[in-house]
Amino acid sequence: MSDQHAAAAKPAAIIDDVRSIIAKSLNISVDRLTPETHLDELGAESLDVIEIVFAIEEKFDITIPLKADEATRLTTADKGGGSQDVPFSTVGEVAKIVEKLVAAKTSKAAQ
Amino acid sequence: MNRVVVTGIGVVSPIGSTREEFWSGLVEARSGIGPITRIPTERLNIRIAAEVRDFDPSQHFDSKRLGMMDRFSQFAVVAARAAVKDAQLDITEELALSAATIIGNSGGGLNTVDDSYFKLYGENATRAHPLTIPRLMGNAPSSLISMDLGLKGPTFTITSACASGTHAIGQAFQMVRMGQVQMALAGGTEAGITVGTMKAWEALRVMSADTCRPFSRTRSGLVLGEGAAIFVLEPRESAVARGAPIYGELRGFGMSADAGDITALDPDGAARAMSAALTDAKVNPDDIDYVNAHGTGTALNDKGETAALHKAFGDSAEHLAVSSSKAVLGHTLGAAGALEFAATALALHHQTIPPTANFEEPDPDCDLDYVPNTARNAPLELAMSSSFAFGGLNAVLVLGRA
Repeated sequence: MSDQHAAAAKPAAIIDDVRSIIAKSLNISVDRLTPETHLDELGAESLDVIEIVFAIEEKFDITIPLKADEATRLTTADKGGGSQDVPFSTVGEVAKIVEKLVAAKTSKAAQ
Repeated sequence: MNRVVVTGIGVVSPIGSTREEFWSGLVEARSGIGPITRIPTERLNIRIAAEVRDFDPSQHFDSKRLGMMDRFSQFAVVAARAAVKDAQLDITEELALSAATIIGNSGGGLNTVDDSYFKLYGENATRAHPLTIPRLMGNAPSSLISMDLGLKGPTFTITSACASGTHAIGQAFQMVRMGQVQMALAGGTEAGITVGTMKAWEALRVMSADTCRPFSRTRSGLVLGEGAAIFVLEPRESAVARGAPIYGELRGFGMSADAGDITALDPDGAARAMSAALTDAKVNPDDIDYVNAHGTGTALNDKGETAALHKAFGDSAEHLAVSSSKAVLGHTLGAAGALEFAATALALHHQTIPPTANFEEPDPDCDLDYVPNTARNAPLELAMSSSFAFGGLNAVLVLGRA
């Protein structure tokens, strides 16, 4: 199980999964999505972002602490036990957060 | 056309279930929000709500009647009885035949749905309780009020999410005004704090994990609540003739739809409902002294509602006192418009503006007078109560001093 998770945690695979989830949710071609693409440029409204986040959470079995009111940023726990504000508006930024959360989950499972 | 007045107020709320407790809670900014106690919270990320905590159904109903009542119907019937008592109303057979019962709610009998599905899917029960359907049907509160009080006129339910209570009162107002009925019982009820609905609300990502702070820069989302408020509405003439107490006079009702986003408030649509209510009441924006706002405590609602108030009131917005009762009552959804209409009527009655509780610091996007934290005595002639629902449905009432 942990081997499979480790394989799934590869950054290249994650961004591809994130791209295909976003493309499917917004009904657009996956080719339009580069790491620099902003979700709002694609016409994604607050509820679209929430649905995308839900699909990503289901896919990777993670929890993304996003609030609808601040759908372009989110607050994550940092290593010191506090919190930090990270951007959440481009495909690359979304993928980066997913990578971080998947890695955190994998290392927790390995402990 | 009849002039229509409010002669009875009945509430079941997170801050108390008598009119006096309800009003003192609002004025003292005593929040009913706290840790959830009625349902298991292990699976919840959000573990706070404004629950009705002092409610023992067996004190109000025998076991046979209780067997057919979901919690949202229990609230509604208890509030309806209190409203009739408050109005010192003797319901004769003639009056009963011409009495409307119009109650709003948004979710139906959600406790019944949740319990029933848990038994079926979670415990593999082979059958549901035979009264499951009568308990959960959306019209149950209206029907059970009519049965309890013997009211035999037009009786139905209005559902428009967070505007349900306001639409119900507005509809009843119009029927009494037109002389279609001699009186109406109207209001809203909701009891939706279940594991299923909490998880569904969590998924919308609009919930606060700590508390509700309407219009404050530090606001972090809404908090769910439960309760009911029911009113006796009747022609001013009959109320005066029988020497009834009069809390206020319903002056105007305005409605609109955004025809836009399914969840986000549209300042334009909200402002159109406010303007329609002012037009219906035949008053100008600067005649309004106080607005009991929808004020959910989400970043988007409070900013959008402030923009809508600027749009509808123009320069008069600067002199307007605006407060939200949701920091105290939580968001009671289908009951919200009704509980807030009670707050508005009592504000006129007591000539006191209930504050926006939990207000911490001003937000540049919310630049009106929100009456932060402390109640204010002020001469109040006209007030407005606004509700803006998911689905883009807006309803606004204008109420005048008795």
